[in-house]
Amino acid sequence: MMDTLLLLALNGLIWGLIIALIALGLSIIFGLLDVINIAHGDFFMVGTVVAWFTLEYTGNFWLGFVTAPLFGFILGALIQRTVIQSIRGAAALSIVATFGLSLILQESVRIVFGPTPRRILPPISGTIPLFGIEYDIYRIFAAALSIAALAGFFYFLQYTKVGTWMRAVRHDRDTAIAMGIPAQRVYVLTFAIGFGLAAFGGAVAAPITTVDFRGGVDILPFCFMAVIIGGLGNLPGTAAAAVLLAFMEGVIQSVADPTVARIASLVLMSAVLLLRPQGLFGGFVR
Amino acid sequence: MTARNIERALFAAFAAFMLSVPWTIPALLSGFWVNLIAEILIWSLFAASVNLLFGYVGLLSFGQALYFGFGMYGVGIGIDHLGLTFWPAFGLGIIAAMAMALVSGILAVRLTWHYFAIITVVFSLIFYFLAVSMKWLTGGDDGINFSMPPTFTFGKSVWSFTDQTFQYFFILATVTLCFYLMHRVVRSPLGKAFLAIRDNDVRASLIGLNVYLLRLVAFVMAGFLAGVAGALFAFFGRYASATYMFYQVSGEAVVWAIVGGAGTLFGPIIGTSVFILIRELVSTHWEHHALIVGFVAILVVRLAPKGLAGLWADWLENLEKPAADGIAVNTLRTEP
Repeated sequence: MMDTLLLLALNGLIWGLIIALIALGLSIIFGLLDVINIAHGDFFMVGTVVAWFTLEYTGNFWLGFVTAPLFGFILGALIQRTVIQSIRGAAALSIVATFGLSLILQESVRIVFGPTPRRILPPISGTIPLFGIEYDIYRIFAAALSIAALAGFFYFLQYTKVGTWMRAVRHDRDTAIAMGIPAQRVYVLTFAIGFGLAAFGGAVAAPITTVDFRGGVDILPFCFMAVIIGGLGNLPGTAAAAVLLAFMEGVIQSVADPTVARIASLVLMSAVLLLRPQGLFGGFVR
Repeated sequence: MTARNIERALFAAFAAFMLSVPWTIPALLSGFWVNLIAEILIWSLFAASVNLLFGYVGLLSFGQALYFGFGMYGVGIGIDHLGLTFWPAFGLGIIAAMAMALVSGILAVRLTWHYFAIITVVFSLIFYFLAVSMKWLTGGDDGINFSMPPTFTFGKSVWSFTDQTFQYFFILATVTLCFYLMHRVVRSPLGKAFLAIRDNDVRASLIGLNVYLLRLVAFVMAGFLAGVAGALFAFFGRYASATYMFYQVSGEAVVWAIVGGAGTLFGPIIGTSVFILIRELVSTHWEHHALIVGFVAILVVRLAPKGLAGLWADWLENLEKPAADGIAVNTLRTEP
């Protein structure tokens, strides 16, 4: 009993770290571009598929950690220039545009990858003893990788020039432009980084979950909830909320079936929304 | 011809077409298309429920599928489990949807904008997962199939949905009635209050409107529209299934309403027709019709940001303008 609880709680924790990566991208895209990105789950899905193709054609799984985010970054920049730029500021239109994007991404993947879900074997198999249970090594590795990516992203945002630009544009666009910050390039970069983060999350998660053209559909509401519960615009809050949500669901799964666990976490989430609409971790941070 | 006359003529032509569908369409195409038009009518009503909230009150609901699903299951469970006849089952579906809208609305309309969108998704997901797991009641993803009870029985003559023409006219009449009701509401003082809240909720509350109560009223009305659509769809397909409660169904209705033109009466009909017709026309020739749908959504956003109905309104306005200039020129000439 204790072992199952521990196993599922750990699984939830690691899944939450991956979700945090995806939700962060969603949050910066929303915060800077005012885009409600319905296609963000599919960005994750594209990451899993690129990882699968990389393994298939090069035989090297590790390369996927480079190709997936790179592919996401380039595609994200292209999509921003062609689709997102023309609708800047109109949140309702962004829903329609990204809905269209989501259909295009899913259908394109269905054409090139096929409709059947596939699995990737973890590149490192085996287990190690952890808190008295035998735990899958790859999941530990995935957690470490996610934490490294999260840390890297926050470092980038806080201590690099471009990261400072991004924070400046989010804080006050007009002043930032007056100070000579190339806001247009920042928008492209933000969308590209958001896609890249989600695709990296996809590559990390590929051996844990299944690779499927509909793989982004279930994950999308979860990411939105993390963004809202963490507090809109509060990036560390978003990451913490994602981990907390997935961890909690893992814990509940040890006593109930997955659907009941999902329902329980959704009920809890509505309670948070109603009682603390500013998010669990403080108010609106701009 | 003035813009008003053009719109009247167009409306008359549209009404005449809708009334003649059961005879003209099978002659031109096939009976399948009569059912497709009936289906478009039902989904238009569903998109109208999103439009009532977003286009008139400014609340973006991503969870209208919940009330669609309750309408559907009210009918399905009513007929299959409780052995109800047509009208009580129809009533049960609508009441179930409205009751659910009232309960969730009491909580949800306290929030606005993003928070409202998220809480409506959360509510609809809760009941989606409940419906999936409570297989004994809902049949889960497989759903409930039921046999159709007759709608009217006059002595020996029986009218039921098994007759395609009757089915079509029943759906047409119900959807028309709902759109007429919505038209009346939008034109009424209540509708003006909705618009005031949409444009500026603070000002609306300052002139003495009870913003919370009005939003709740709109939410229950939208639940009614979605519930009627769901109940009709259950009769139409003779089944109810949890898949129609998933958030993607809600999302599609949002897209249909915005593409057609949010805040206009006919916008949702236009948007729904465009997307369902593309799906049907392309899917028979090409398996990957979703690609086309995706590109159309993006194109509409780029070319018609006010929706297709907005594009039409702009076109009519341009038509009026040169005419107005012409009159001005004439009056100038007649001046001595």
